[in-house]
Amino acid sequence: MKRDKKIPAIALTAAMCLAAVGCGQSPASSETTASSENSATTEAAGQAATEAAAETTAEAEPAEEVTLNFWHHYSAQSPENETLTNVLIPKFEEENPGITVNAVSHEWADLHDKILISAQSDTLPDVARLDSAWVPEFQKMGILVPLNKEMSDFQDVADGLLESAMTTAQIGGDSYGLALNTNTKILYYNTEAFEKAGLQAPATMDEFVEDCKKLSGTNDAGQQVWGYDEPGLAGWNLCPFIWSMGGSLTNEDQTKATGYLNSKETVAAIQMLADLYQEQAITGWNSGDIPMTDGFGTGRYMMLLEGPWKVSELAGAYPEFKYSTAPVPAGDGGSISVLGGEDIGMFNTANKDAAWKFMKFMTSEYAQEEMAKCGQIPCNKEALESDTVKNADFAPYIEQLKTAKSRPTVASWSEIDSELTASVTSVMNGEQTAQEAMDDLAKKVDALLAE
Amino acid sequence: MEMKKKNGMQALIYVLLILGMVIVILPMLYMVSTSLKPNGALYEYPPQFFPKLHEITLENYKYILSQRKFLGNFLNSIAVSVCTVAISAAVSSALAFCIARFRFPGRRALFAFIILTMIIPGTTMIVPQYELAVKLKTINSIWGLIPFYVAWVIPYSTFMIKGFVEGVPSELDEATYMDGGNVFTVYVHVIIPLTKPGIASISIFNFLTAWEEFPWANTVINDDLKRTLPIAISGFFGQHQFTQWGYVFALSVLSLIPILIVFISCQKFFVQGLTAGSVKG
Amino acid sequence: MKLKGKSKAQIGLLLLPGLLIFCIFTVYPIIRLFWMSFFKWDFGSFLSQKFIGLENYRSVVTDPYFQTSFVNTIVYTLITVPAQMILGLLVAILINSVKKFKIGFRVAYYLPVITSWVIASLVFKYVFNTEGLLNYFLTNVIHVTGSNIRWLDSRWGGMTVAMLLGIWKGIGWNMVVFLAALQAVPQELYESAALDGAGSWQKFRYVTLPGIKGTVLFALVMLTIGGFNVYTSTKLITDGKPGHDTEVVLTWMYYKAFSTGKFGYSAALSFIIAFILGILAILEFRLMQNKEQQ
Repeated sequence: MKRDKKIPAIALTAAMCLAAVGCGQSPASSETTASSENSATTEAAGQAATEAAAETTAEAEPAEEVTLNFWHHYSAQSPENETLTNVLIPKFEEENPGITVNAVSHEWADLHDKILISAQSDTLPDVARLDSAWVPEFQKMGILVPLNKEMSDFQDVADGLLESAMTTAQIGGDSYGLALNTNTKILYYNTEAFEKAGLQAPATMDEFVEDCKKLSGTNDAGQQVWGYDEPGLAGWNLCPFIWSMGGSLTNEDQTKATGYLNSKETVAAIQMLADLYQEQAITGWNSGDIPMTDGFGTGRYMMLLEGPWKVSELAGAYPEFKYSTAPVPAGDGGSISVLGGEDIGMFNTANKDAAWKFMKFMTSEYAQEEMAKCGQIPCNKEALESDTVKNADFAPYIEQLKTAKSRPTVASWSEIDSELTASVTSVMNGEQTAQEAMDDLAKKVDALLAE
Repeated sequence: MEMKKKNGMQALIYVLLILGMVIVILPMLYMVSTSLKPNGALYEYPPQFFPKLHEITLENYKYILSQRKFLGNFLNSIAVSVCTVAISAAVSSALAFCIARFRFPGRRALFAFIILTMIIPGTTMIVPQYELAVKLKTINSIWGLIPFYVAWVIPYSTFMIKGFVEGVPSELDEATYMDGGNVFTVYVHVIIPLTKPGIASISIFNFLTAWEEFPWANTVINDDLKRTLPIAISGFFGQHQFTQWGYVFALSVLSLIPILIVFISCQKFFVQGLTAGSVKG
Repeated sequence: MKLKGKSKAQIGLLLLPGLLIFCIFTVYPIIRLFWMSFFKWDFGSFLSQKFIGLENYRSVVTDPYFQTSFVNTIVYTLITVPAQMILGLLVAILINSVKKFKIGFRVAYYLPVITSWVIASLVFKYVFNTEGLLNYFLTNVIHVTGSNIRWLDSRWGGMTVAMLLGIWKGIGWNMVVFLAALQAVPQELYESAALDGAGSWQKFRYVTLPGIKGTVLFALVMLTIGGFNVYTSTKLITDGKPGHDTEVVLTWMYYKAFSTGKFGYSAALSFIIAFILGILAILEFRLMQNKEQQ
């Protein structure tokens, strides 16, 4: 945290590498090269000499035991985590003797905070699965390795992955991660309830509003039911509504929010949700609500916008439950969902040779196909063509991905996201009108974008 | 007549006490009963306080016990708590002994500072303490927990044990010095044996502190296997809004067992420890 | 006792380990915290921290989120402290006046104290869930409300649950402390009061209360500190939601430091809290000493 002010930034990066390797797993590191300004040399300095020599070919085995720390946010009890720990890591360790992978599961929000904290302290992991929305922030802090500059075979690897997904890790012409999986949200609905009410899946936002109202109320057991569930009020949750209704968060250059975040269309989208909430037609973001999966599976929530992982979750917890999917209801802006997906990135304190091997493995056809079985849409082009993927019913997501947009790729996104949540919450609770809240918010976001 | 009124009064008091006790214990019972329900029944309607007899299952416990990492978390919690208790008992009693018995320079200032730090919530220091743990390279290790826990409990422990030391007649010290004893012999052979109940009671309190501490451990520890129990329990809350309450409560019940054992077996010390400082005043 | 040269060294040795731990892990961080609070210290200024005087203090005090969290903390303390003390004292008096099952009652009432904050918070979250057991009981069994109460979804609803948890968890501690104090009140005083024809209330008012005054003040100081220390329960029950309406000072401090990287801001916030508590505690200790001298 407290760094010497006099060292220039690049040398500092070098020093950070050394410090981390020194206290980490690689015993051999020399202080003498700390002044090197060339990042390639830095990288070599961080490794035992033999490893560094082997690096260019990236095929020779590391000379000594390496433990690779990999942080991710596959939740601890998920099928993805099972696959990771029981299938992928053993396979990787078998193929790469001498490298042990220590995978650590964090909660999504926790992972972000942990990386921020660790960045202050030379305790970063080697590799992490990053929500693509975080990449700009971490890049700005200077903790991610520009892969295209440091890995000689980067282009070969990148060419095998989806271009659209790879752009999420590109900042200023450099690539700070490999696209690990892509996703977006589509509409899930309770088939039985829709049939009973004589409804079709809503194709437009107007129909969506109507359906929410019709499907909410009380069920036969006298319990309250809701037309739609939204588990949060962050960008991930609100963007499909804002964009589909023709609104936006910022201008194209992502430098200004006033005039966009408080535009007529954006305000209308927020107001629409607030009205539905006031009529008790939608719910979900409150602490006391039934969790999304349980509420949908037990027939209390009739619709959701969710990603491909929901399929295996529902199959596990509510195997009897019948549901169908449809595209995000279209508004004046079209049917536009939010681009999700994760990148796998390496921190500049990493054991780069081993980390790169692991990243290549995780984006390989084999690993991507295994993960596809748990609902992760691959970014590896060959895996996308595999039978597993063809049989996995990813088609609706892949269709929706064509129009999906990514959230602003700015370093202050986490903070903007949090302010957005707070403002929209106050609108939902009737403390402010949507216009007031968005006007204030736009000013705050302008300041954050200027930072 | 008088007798009857008294009996009636006693009965009323028992009723009140039992009523209060039921309210106090209900949440605990609900936790135990939920841990015995299958996961599918957790959002059942109508909600049941007790699981239906045919539903009672140990599947949650089986799952918890089958996961090696929870055993690791358990052992970490034990190690952290035991080390915290042992180290803090030794250093606090030494501090208390010196402050109570000797007029060394800075004694008043030291005691005042110790009292002052009792007041500051430990969590407020989390930023500089984190920085310190980084410098000492104890992040992500139980050694990033133990010294900090010891430092947190030193003020209260010293304050309390000082009260007990003052209760030991100083003639006993003098007699030991006469026999050729020095400061250490007095500490080891007079003070420690005679303040043992006090130290024991403070230690139970410190054990509980270390056993249940959450914000610091949550900040310092990353790896699954290095977590302590509170972090493991809160770790069930994943990103997809899907919580297996059955697992949460099964692990919670298991984590309560050691503390119950410690508490019940040391019950008589416990009360003394809590009250020594206050009643003397 | 007089110190000889040799014993001085021995005392020094005996003090050393405790002093060392105390200074490194408590005193140093406090000083460091004070220092940090005057600098612009965040991720944007990773390499050089700029001295900005009282700017951090200004931004804390004028931050509406901080103000919310501060009011929440004050309300939490003002409600939970007296509630715990009164209920704890009541239970202590009742237990003190029964002949059988004293230990059984004591253990039962003490159970919440030894239940960790993490576990207790999760249990409360589960019980107070909008679809949870408590709401079912209130609406469908005793019919006091027509629809489910949304405990966790509003500022004061969430704070109410946190406060109920704080009181539930604190009764046992107060009970034990007051039980010991009650037993220390001389029995003769009650007897002579009875001879003077005092009723139960008068006995309580003129014998019991004066007899346990020291303990009351001790509990007051400890519980006030405890009130400001609340963190885990609100963090796990509502996590500040909705918006940041249910933050308390410590959760807000933690959020600013570790989610947004504003370390300077957090340091200033910590110091403001420490300062307020310091003043409060000195006042309360003064009060305690005055009472002792009477």
